[in-house]
Amino acid sequence: MSTQTVSTIRFGVIEYTPEDVIRVMGGILGFPSYEQYLILQHKEGSPFRWLQSLDEPSLAFLVVDPSHFLSDYAPEMELRHALDLQLTEETARLVYTIVTIPRGKPEEMTLNLAGPIVINAESGVAKQVVLDDPAYSIKFEVNRAPQPTEAAA
Amino acid sequence: MLVLTRKLNQSIIINGEIEVVVLEVRGEQVRLGIKAPKDVPVHRKEIFDQIQDENRAASEVDPGDIPE
Repeated sequence: MSTQTVSTIRFGVIEYTPEDVIRVMGGILGFPSYEQYLILQHKEGSPFRWLQSLDEPSLAFLVVDPSHFLSDYAPEMELRHALDLQLTEETARLVYTIVTIPRGKPEEMTLNLAGPIVINAESGVAKQVVLDDPAYSIKFEVNRAPQPTEAAA
Repeated sequence: MLVLTRKLNQSIIINGEIEVVVLEVRGEQVRLGIKAPKDVPVHRKEIFDQIQDENRAASEVDPGDIPE
């Protein structure tokens, strides 16, 4: 497979092959023009990854496998999303949640549990899935004691 | 935008398969019932807006702030 390169703002020039490319259908919400991403390891041994846009050098999202922080995160997806991603019970998949860290305040890190990125690991097709369920916080504070449920809206 | 006037218990049909019915009107609150096929997602718009806002904030994370 031929190696290609892409210039990025945060990580400099990155080499990748076409099979590394993740296609986020419809883009990340708020960024609909950008569908192609690479998954980059943050640091060796770190649970964090970056979703780096192939189309916009400055656009990258910090993501993490939520099971690193939560043992019981297993959102039920709407059928529509599973169909879009061509997921069956057997399909290998990756689930990442987007991480927000207010500048200079790593202790205030939050995970967006209501908008996970679900990736069909076999096809590389992905989607930011919307979970309209008050049990899944948009700003889950990882440094707080787990709060299993929040009051319904 | 198409604007339609409906009374209590009247509904509209979208694309021949989605029905939105006015169940209750009380002051400023309107309760709607939505009958749609299982593969059609129906969400409150606020959740989309909130996730977009959160994504924008997340796109500005500084790699120097990531815990080891």
